Parts: sequence; structure tokens; C-alpha cells
Amino acid sequence: MASAVAQDSPGAPPGAPKKPGSRRKGTGLSPRRLPYLLIAPAVLLMAGFIAYPMLSVFYYSLQNYNATKPWRNGFAGLDNFKRIFTDDPLFWDSLVFSGKWVFTEVTLQLALGLILALLVNQTFVGRAAARALVFSPWAVSGVLTTTIWLLLYNPSTGVGRYLADAGIGTYGSSVLSDTGTVFWAAVLAELWRGVPFFAILILADLQSIPGDLYEAASVDGASRFRQFFHITLPHLRDAIILSTLLRAVWEFNNVDLLLTLTEGGPAGVTTTLPLYVAVTGFEAHDFGYATALTTVAFGILLFCSILYLRLSKFGGDHK
Amino acid sequence: MTVSKVNRGRTAAAVSLTTVLALAATACGDDGSGGSGSEGSGKGEITLWDNNTGERRDIWAQIIKDFESQNKDIKVKYVGLPIDQVQQKYDTAIDGGGLPDVGGVGTAYLSNLVVREVLEPVGDRVEAGPLKGKLVPSMVESVKAAGGRGDEMYSVPSSTNNGTLWYRTDLFSRAGLEPPTTWPAFYEAAEKLTEPGTDRFGYTIRGGAGSIAPALDAMYGQSGITSFWKGDKTTVNDPKNVAALEKYVALYKKVTPSADVNNDFIKMVAQYDNGSIGMLMHNLASYQDHVKSLGKEKFKGLPYPAQANGERVQVSNPVDGLGLFKNSENKAAAWKFIEFAASHKSNSAWNESAGSIPANTDAASDSWIQQAEPTAAAMKALSDGSTKIVDLPYYLPDWNTISKSGNEPNFQKVLLGDMSAQEFADKVAGELNAAQAEWNEQMKK
Repeated sequence: MASAVAQDSPGAPPGAPKKPGSRRKGTGLSPRRLPYLLIAPAVLLMAGFIAYPMLSVFYYSLQNYNATKPWRNGFAGLDNFKRIFTDDPLFWDSLVFSGKWVFTEVTLQLALGLILALLVNQTFVGRAAARALVFSPWAVSGVLTTTIWLLLYNPSTGVGRYLADAGIGTYGSSVLSDTGTVFWAAVLAELWRGVPFFAILILADLQSIPGDLYEAASVDGASRFRQFFHITLPHLRDAIILSTLLRAVWEFNNVDLLLTLTEGGPAGVTTTLPLYVAVTGFEAHDFGYATALTTVAFGILLFCSILYLRLSKFGGDHK
Repeated sequence: MTVSKVNRGRTAAAVSLTTVLALAATACGDDGSGGSGSEGSGKGEITLWDNNTGERRDIWAQIIKDFESQNKDIKVKYVGLPIDQVQQKYDTAIDGGGLPDVGGVGTAYLSNLVVREVLEPVGDRVEAGPLKGKLVPSMVESVKAAGGRGDEMYSVPSSTNNGTLWYRTDLFSRAGLEPPTTWPAFYEAAEKLTEPGTDRFGYTIRGGAGSIAPALDAMYGQSGITSFWKGDKTTVNDPKNVAALEKYVALYKKVTPSADVNNDFIKMVAQYDNGSIGMLMHNLASYQDHVKSLGKEKFKGLPYPAQANGERVQVSNPVDGLGLFKNSENKAAAWKFIEFAASHKSNSAWNESAGSIPANTDAASDSWIQQAEPTAAAMKALSDGSTKIVDLPYYLPDWNTISKSGNEPNFQKVLLGDMSAQEFADKVAGELNAAQAEWNEQMKK
């Protein structure tokens, strides 16, 4: 940027370097200050929309702040955190469920997304339509996804009703009302929405693999299986690491689907930690405790993310 | 595990992204209740929050149109809120700003708003205007009690509801059953109307959101206990109530669909209206839904069953009303609208549409009430001395938590057999006793 400015300076020979700290014509700003000015809006926006809410969460996590009991409000120190770790079985239950939910969802979404991406990366008649079909659930909102699956699971009008008519299962039952089936029913609904995410990302990366690598491998007699493990998978490595991390964070923070599909039930068996935070904050109005739970969830996610990136050597040279 | 500079940069970027995504911002802003507002000029725009949009939208549109035609210099902006989100919307507005001038407020969450000092006391305004002596005294008392500030009123009552046992007349006559006016008759009908292996069930139970109030109705209705408190301790876990609860939850799966464990009122009503289910306990508000789906000939509504000796005990129903918000900059216009909405004509039309019991004493004698059989039966039951009402402690700030998110999952555990009725009742009672003790302590200060 300095040289560009120098060329515009009157009196300076073409190509002559501009003196550091000299002012840009018309702005009254030195080239050293200009970059800071240019990034200032972004910094201010980040401070306002990211730093401030985060700091607010940390601040309120140290407070007693119950909207319906103002007489209790005030500084709590670490009491909220002490209660979380020593006197709240719901926290541990929801954390364990969150872990199970994230692991199951991310693993299955990755596996199915990879398979679908490999399929629609092939050349065949109707490939464009097949791709559109694969990606379409990603365009559906979370609440609409829930509505679709609620209708499918509805005991009066859904699949269960038709199965009962056919003599399979019982009338008036729903997979969402059985603690033994509700988990997999919810997993299926979220898979429908989540698989296209992986399929899109992986397909984009698949298309960047040079075709001559496969040609050379074929000439050398490598099978499709070997080509997949020695060319395709190594190439997709970083994309898979980043997308699984992103998806894991999203799934951990997933509130919309489970809230609208199961409301965390029955009997709380599908309550994730963020859902527990939402109930504590917005139904019990205990915002101090809810923000402490959020802070703990944040710490857990941050720790797991760093650990995952380090162990996976994300961005390193893997050849 | 050596990480290069580039690698570190990528890691940092990924972690930063994670950070942004991870931190669900439960941050709370300043108290947005905003100062004390002002009377204003009595002209301009006011905002109305309807606390139960849906069926009521049309009648509100009509009332607003009538009001605006009589008050040319006032415009009313209608904002409809779903009933299950209204309290959250108020909470958000209190913390973040944007409360309305007038809002629908039920006694179930009135105390939460009073405690946070966002509602204007309206007792003096009522006494000084045309509503004086025109509001049903029992509803006025309910509003005062729920506000928790002695004799002061923080909302103008507009209606109340009553627990109603809806039953399918076609299924009852086919089974040769009499209307289920008593609890023994109710249990007998539930069994007889159930045909195992088919889609015919005698009853649909509310197991999901909002399940605690119907369960309390079943408990007190059968036990005959007429007071929620015995000294400073609740009667919820009285052995008679526990026995009643055991009998009630035993209906689950035996005469009800197993999916009922997730039933909120929408699912429950939809299931009743679209299936072959004999009975449903809900309130008068679902009348229009039944008419739309079943037609007027296939169902009827009765007050909740009485005991075998004919005595009926019910828990109190929330009273709906309109609150005047302190931060309104146009309280004069807002109050004019509340008076108009609570007047005979508007209140009658509103309640006829909603199928509920009007708060205006003049509206109570209108002809439509006699034609709406369930509403007339509910009014009779509440006014002829045949029904004893157990007053629920709506004034407790913890009431909503205890009766909703705090124990609805536990009620599901009882239905699923993972918790006993005794354990459930003891847990609820323990929380209520603690909440009452805290409330008493605050009242002494």
C-alpha cells in the first residue's frame, strides 16, 4: 500500500519509495494509521456483537439474577458454579446426553454425507437433479423440519397409524413418547437436516482433486478402494476436520429441533445442556444460573475444540 | 505435536469461530421497564399485546375497529403472541425494552410482572370510571390475590375459564353410558369406551406441557380437600391426594393412547378432535376447536366430575385481564382502550368468541351464554354454591417454575412408572412449602 501511495505523491520520481509516516493526500492520515481506521468498523462491530455479550455472560454467571425474585439478586461469587458441579444432577444428565447426541449425530452425518457426496460426484444421467435432491433438506428451516417429522411421528395421522392399520405396532403410540425410541427418532430427524451439510462441503472438496491423480493410480493398478483411501480421503482430511468441528459445535448448541420435537422429554431424557440453559433462563427466569451453565458449556466446548484440533493436526502437512 | 505458525493461525481461527458459535448469549441487558411513563395527551398510537393470539385475533380486530371509530385520534397497534410464549416475550421486553402500553395478563404470571414493577396499579382508575361495580367480584378478588400486593389491582379482569370435561355424545350413547358427572362414572366410562387393539380410547390425558394443573384438579376433585394450604404447609401430598393421583395416572396406557405422555393442549385437543377418544379434560377455550372438527352434535361439555356424594371440588382457573404498563407514554389513551375493551359490549363479544366466562357483570346475563351450553354450565357451577374452589398460589413467584418446567418432566416419570405418585407429590410439596416460606419472609419486610 505504501508504494501505491508513493506513486500518487506529487514531486516524487516514479517508483521512488515514500517516506514512512508521510500523510496520504486528502485524508490527513499516515499510511500507518490508515489500516487501523479501515478495520475499525469491523473491530467495533465485533466488540459490540461478540465481546460485549460474552463479557455479559461471564459477568452474570457471577451474579444471583432471578427475574422473579429481585430481592435475591446480587453478587454470588462462584456459588452458581459450585451448585452446577456439586448439587445439580440435571446438569450432568444433560451434559452426558449432549455428548451422546453430538457423537452420534456427527459420526452418522459424516458417514452418510461422505457416501452421498461420493455418489453425486460420479457422472450419470440426472446428476443435477440428484444433487438438488440431496442438498434440499439443508434449505429447510429447523422448525419446519420439526413440523415435517412431528407429522410423520403423529400417532393419529403419521406413519405409526398406517403401521397399526397394517397390524404392526399399536394404535395411539409414538416413537417420541417412548424413552427407548425417542433418541433415535430425534437422531433420524436431525440426520435428515444435517447430512446435506457434509455432502455439500465434501463434494466441493472432491471436485478440487486433480483427475490425473486417479488416472495415474489406475495406470499403476490401484483399485477404487485403494484410490479412496490413498487419494480421496487424505485430500478431504482438513475439510472433514473443520466440518466435523463446526457441526459438533452446532449440534452441541442445537436447541430448535429438540425443543420443538421433544421439548427435552419425555421425562427429560432428550434434554441437552443448551436446552437446560434455555429452560433455566426463559422458563425459570434464573438468568444468573443459566449464564453460569452457559459459561461452563463454553469452557467445555473450547477445551474440546482445542484438543480436537491439536490431536488431528489440523492444517499440518500430512503427506 | 509441533504446530507451525501457519497451523497455529488456522487453529486460532477455528477456535475463534468455535468461540463465537459456542457462546449462546444469555446475556441480559439493563432493566428495560423504562421509567414511570406518562399520562400523555390521550391521542396517538398505543400498542396492545394479545396474550393468546389465534382464534382471538378476529374479535380483537373488531373491538379495535369499534374503538378507533369512537376515538378518531387514537390508533391501536395489535401484536398477537402465542399463549405459550407470552411470558417469555414479557421477560425479554422487561430486560431489553419494548413493553406495550396495554397487554393481556393472566393471573398465572401476574405476580412475576408485579414483582418487577412494570404494571401500573389500576384500582383507583377502576373506581373513578365506568367500570366501577361492573366487574365480577370473584374475578376482582382473584386478580388482587394473584398480584400479591394486598388490596391493589394490577390488571382489569376480562374473563375466566373453567375446567370442562368434554365427552363424545355419539360414543357415549353407543356404549349406553350416562354423562360422566361423577368421578366413579368418569372412570367407568373411560374403561367401557376403550377397545384394546383398536384406536378407540376412553380418555386422553395431558402428560406434556401444562400437565400439572389438570393433575391437581384430578387430585383435589377426588379427594375432596378444599384448601391448598394447611397452615404453612401445602396439602398437595396429603394421603388422600396421593391416592387420587395414583388412581388418575393409572389411566395412562390402560384407557389412553401411550403418546399422551407428550400431550400439550394442542396435541391433546387435536387428538380428541380427530380420533375416537371418549373424553378430554380441558377448559372452555377448546370449544370452538371441537365445533370445527366434530360439529355441535357429537360432543358436550360438563364441569369437572363431582365426588360420588355430589360435592364438586376444583382448583382455581387463571383469570385473564388487561394490564396497563408503567412505561407507557400514553396512559390516558391506553386506559381509555382498557375501559372500552372491558365494557359490556366488547367484553361480551370477546368472551362469546373465546367461549369463556365474561368479567363484566352486564355481559354475564347476555343471551349467548344460555345458548353456549358448556359456558352456561360452568357459570352455574361456579355461582350456585355447588362447587368448592381450591385457590392455587398464583402469587408465588416460584409457582410457574414449580407447576411447569420444574415438575412436568417428573409427572411424565410418574406416567412412565419411573417415579411414584408419593415421590412426585412430596417433591412438589417440598418446593411449594419452601416458596411459601420465602414469600412470607418477604412479606414481613
